[in-house]
Amino acid sequence: MTTTPLIGVSKSILKIKELIHHVANTCLNVLITGATGVGKEVVAQNLYAESARSTQNFVKINCAALPETLLESELYGYEKGAFTGAHKKRPGKFQTADKGVLFLDEIGDMPMALQSKMLHVLQSGEFSPLGSDQEYKTDVWVIAATNHNLEESMKQKMFREDLFYRLNIIKIDIPPLRKRKEDIPSLIEYYFRLYKSEYPDNQGTRPDSDILTKLCNYSWPGNVRQLQNCIKKQMILNSWEKIFEELTQEHPEIAPPILKENQQNGTQVYINQEFSNARTSIISEFVDLSTSSDKLFEDLSLKKIKKMASDKVEKEVIAFVLEKVGWNRSRASKILKISYKTLLYKMNEFKVLPPA
Amino acid sequence: MDSPNKLLIVDDNEDILSTFYEFFNSLGYEVKTARDGFAALKLLKNKSIFFDCLITDLVMPNISGVGLISIAKKEYPHLKIIAMTGYGGQPGALASEAKADFVFFKPVDLLKIENKVSELINQKNDKQ
Repeated sequence: MTTTPLIGVSKSILKIKELIHHVANTCLNVLITGATGVGKEVVAQNLYAESARSTQNFVKINCAALPETLLESELYGYEKGAFTGAHKKRPGKFQTADKGVLFLDEIGDMPMALQSKMLHVLQSGEFSPLGSDQEYKTDVWVIAATNHNLEESMKQKMFREDLFYRLNIIKIDIPPLRKRKEDIPSLIEYYFRLYKSEYPDNQGTRPDSDILTKLCNYSWPGNVRQLQNCIKKQMILNSWEKIFEELTQEHPEIAPPILKENQQNGTQVYINQEFSNARTSIISEFVDLSTSSDKLFEDLSLKKIKKMASDKVEKEVIAFVLEKVGWNRSRASKILKISYKTLLYKMNEFKVLPPA
Repeated sequence: MDSPNKLLIVDDNEDILSTFYEFFNSLGYEVKTARDGFAALKLLKNKSIFFDCLITDLVMPNISGVGLISIAKKEYPHLKIIAMTGYGGQPGALASEAKADFVFFKPVDLLKIENKVSELINQKNDKQ
């Protein structure tokens, strides 16, 4: 496995690097948190690479990608005949990661039933494969990652408290890219060089200083992964202008939401706000969250919001279909399975107009 | 004259830190404070002070109290460790598992903690 280096010059990235260096050989359970695309797996890889376990296996499993039963058999393995289709014995990830690292990605999406089984393994270092009554010993260094706010999940009884505290021995929180803009130029340079070396014939050029400033001021809701994709695109399109146009179209609310940073209360408050961002950004499309809660609750009616949300989607779908059929309204109404009259009415209501 | 006993107090709550600092300082202890496990670990690794006792909160950013206890017990076996927690039983149980010498549940009684500190330090001195 090649380890992606942790790129950045911001205070938070430097601190994470230092922390990795100090804890890589402790084998204490680690919980890595941060929004989608910030680089949680990169941090896990770096922990592994700096540890004495780097000569052993780094085994990754995505707890959100598999249905419950499959996730269970992937983690613990099974004996021949454990279930229909188990034609031969298969080792689980806990076995293949023995003496190495087990990276549990998206741990926040692990079903409750499996959480208690996971807790048992973490407590005892023992597990038994499906269909087996034999307990196996395992020595794995568990590094877990999630983009959920597990404190919130615990309140909602979606995540076990005992499992949380057992994983949360070392906590590494990676801030979103818009909170560490100073990392953007070095990330661009790194991925630019990487993709250039992978595809030496491509035409992509580096951003000039104007474009770089724009890129640094963009909110990057998809974080480093989105930035990576942009640079890949640039290699093909070779037009930063076009890429920037796309970015602003995808996310017209280009100005990042400004969260009040409370220095005195430290980072914890800040982090919690970060986690609930996805939810608040959806809600804020329809109601003004910056008003006082009295005023806010007056405006907040589910019926009203339902109407606004469905209007918004309807408008997009109508515009999409009309564009596809070259603004042929009668065809569009047939595709949308509404009457011609209704379509005209809705076009008028939502101000969906053909291009001049 | 005996050199004062050296304490390292770790909590992410500034008020608790300053209260503990004042209290133990007034009793003649030499006190250092840290706001999270990582800062505490750096103080422990910096060999200029050999601490007698570590008093740590459990739920903190970066290196938690449980993490700090595990590392400290391994690297500085003579260091006495008292854990404090306000988060119910879970972290406290983990602290005991990590071999903390004693676990207090918040709200804590400073006098009781001081009794425990001197008891643990005396135990240690008796053994030597």
